[in-house]
Amino acid sequence: MIKIIVCTKQVPATNEVKMDPVTNTIIREGVEAICNPFDTYAVEEALRIKERLGAQITAVSMGIPSVAAMLKEVVALGVDEAVLLTDRSFAGADTLATAYTLAKGIGKIGEFDLIICGKQATDGDTAQVGPSLAETLGIPHLTDVGEIKDLNGKKIICRRMTDDGYDEIEMDLPCLITVTKEINTPRLPSILGIKNASNQKIGKLGSDICEENDTHIGLSGSPTQVVKTFIPTSAVECQFLSLNALADKLRELSNMEEEGN
Amino acid sequence: MPNILRQMGDQYAEYLKDESRSIGEADSISFAKTQAEALEVVRNCLAKEEKITVQGGRTGLAASAVPHGGHILNLSRLNHILGMRYDRSRDNFFVTVEPGVLLSQLRKAVSDKSFDIKLWNDKSVQALGIFRAAEWFFTPDPTETSATIGGMVSCNASGARTFLFGPTRNYIEALRVILPNGEVLDIRRGKNFAKGRKFKLKTENDEINGDLPVYNMPEVKNAAGYFVRDNMDLIDLFIGAEGSLGVITQIEVRLIRLPKAMWGVTAFFPNELSALEYVKALRNENKKCPWLHRPAAIEFFNCRALDLLRSQKANNPAFAQIQELKSQYHTAVYAEFHGNSVQEDEMPVLIGGLGDVINFVGGDEANTWVANNQRDLEKLQFFRHAMPESANMLIDQRRKIDPTLTKLGTDMSVPDQYLNAVMEMYNRDLSAANLENVIFGHIGNNHLHVNILPRNKADYLKGKELYLKWAQTNVANGGSVAAEHGIGKLKTNMLEVMYGKSGIEEMRRLKALFDPNGLINSGNMFIASKEVK
Repeated sequence: MIKIIVCTKQVPATNEVKMDPVTNTIIREGVEAICNPFDTYAVEEALRIKERLGAQITAVSMGIPSVAAMLKEVVALGVDEAVLLTDRSFAGADTLATAYTLAKGIGKIGEFDLIICGKQATDGDTAQVGPSLAETLGIPHLTDVGEIKDLNGKKIICRRMTDDGYDEIEMDLPCLITVTKEINTPRLPSILGIKNASNQKIGKLGSDICEENDTHIGLSGSPTQVVKTFIPTSAVECQFLSLNALADKLRELSNMEEEGN
Repeated sequence: MPNILRQMGDQYAEYLKDESRSIGEADSISFAKTQAEALEVVRNCLAKEEKITVQGGRTGLAASAVPHGGHILNLSRLNHILGMRYDRSRDNFFVTVEPGVLLSQLRKAVSDKSFDIKLWNDKSVQALGIFRAAEWFFTPDPTETSATIGGMVSCNASGARTFLFGPTRNYIEALRVILPNGEVLDIRRGKNFAKGRKFKLKTENDEINGDLPVYNMPEVKNAAGYFVRDNMDLIDLFIGAEGSLGVITQIEVRLIRLPKAMWGVTAFFPNELSALEYVKALRNENKKCPWLHRPAAIEFFNCRALDLLRSQKANNPAFAQIQELKSQYHTAVYAEFHGNSVQEDEMPVLIGGLGDVINFVGGDEANTWVANNQRDLEKLQFFRHAMPESANMLIDQRRKIDPTLTKLGTDMSVPDQYLNAVMEMYNRDLSAANLENVIFGHIGNNHLHVNILPRNKADYLKGKELYLKWAQTNVANGGSVAAEHGIGKLKTNMLEVMYGKSGIEEMRRLKALFDPNGLINSGNMFIASKEVK
């Protein structure tokens, strides 16, 4: 049976992130927390593979202890088990340290054939953790997958959209893919699924997945320096011109072009 | 002449119609941006004895905003949120808006807690501080969120959540109305009452008094004709009056606290009967499986409605994000539950119990979609909103071949005990007449929208016949011919089915007390006693 790991992240339930103008940090208070929308497509794709071919699906997430509730929701969808990587020492991780910690956790979970991630999280929008995780694990990866054309115990054929058309790429398993929202339509849980999930324990892994004094996790393992975050301001101004003013403007522009030449 | 008056021309053709897709005619149009401008336009028309049709978002389905000659006063740009106050004893917020404010605009401002306060007084700005400390909720939720608040007041709009919270009327605290005598009336809830069916209203320099109609309104969800009751609060006369008593230029709406939790569940049933049993169980009518947590909404989709959504999903990318509808899903019921408990497991426990009810009535708790956050709730609401949208798109296709075809959408409600009977009647008659149709809507209030989708003129005529027959039967059973869309200009014959010739005559007399020359929004609900060009 194919073994699939799905990576999920809890994010604020808003696509209009509000920034604190003084501290330049994301305002999380009063905002509901949900499973990263792109990750729901990853979960759905894993469930569809399971329905088609049979599979054992493990969802994994790194976060604070309350993220276990989100993982329960993922289990309610039909995922077989879920593991939460949670420890104070994991806190403050950038994408590199997150990928490293996920790799360590996945190492504990055991063998796998396929890892599926959402293409990015809607809070950080970096799209780095998936590829970084694959590199850390030393397996091939493909980003922005819009369709799985074929999958068997040995290889996967994926299709993804590019600027020039579509790529169809074959990879050996085990490997990692990140998926876009074109790949499927995620399901909502059923009441039966929620009932089943409420009886299921969420596995927890702490800092003992790493060596003692491992400096690759948490804040110490995070070389990313946030110098400044800011909301880009749109500098486009709309001007209304009279016909005469428009003619003047066009003349001015054509002069500029001639001078430029 | 007010300088915002414009002669009608091609550029304003859009304003001759509304969502009902009927097209009217007019001589001039204005877009008032301030209350003073609106008043000037109204007084100018009154002086010239020119008819006025008032428009908001033109999302109405009964052609109330479609002009029949005269002037169009479009209030969509009279759209400021003017201030707010907090009432500690009721723990309610009251927000003052102009009629052109969109429902979507008000909702966004309330949920973002972000208002343009340039025009606000100090008290309002202070109240905003209290407002920001909690979450607030404007409950009326007509499907079309580009509806204006003015339009919602004028037709006493409802939505799915009316099942728990009641219609727009319950959330209107004060109105400012330009009366057909050119005076401005400020009326506040709890201040002016009728005595029995007699009323007296003091205006700036005048007094309007007389008799209210004596008909009794049905004890069901209802938006047909004037709201009248013994000793009624007179503000209610203007709500749902379809603009016939004056031009509303300012509205104070009431907000309640936002529930802590909102969960939605769409349950799929193998047949219609078990779905109806589920609806009754949710209303706690089934002694064998009691259900005490009253839903905020109960919505219905019959098998043909689900089939239409299946084909939309397959053929139209705009509906691609609808979750897959398995072939064994025959009928669907959406129910929404609000929770206020501090206990975190309140909703999961509740939903678990709901699963037992679904199994009991012949469904399967595995065949459900559960939304427990705003994002997922929006998916279920999108599914609901896709329903009328799909029916309209289908008819728009057919109108390209025969432009005289329109959808025939019913809006009738009946008392609880007639739920099964009314569904049986619709299904039997539609199948006997071989009419293509979908049935969906607010089944909690036994208020279903039967959408007849005519393929040709003969279908359309057969459908109209059925429509009238159903109105007669439903009224005889104590129902309403228009539970939420109003009467407008398209259903005046239906209002007569409901209240008879004498009822219409009483309404006419009431209108004449306010508007003896029949100048303001005439033609809505009934033809006014004196119609002038």
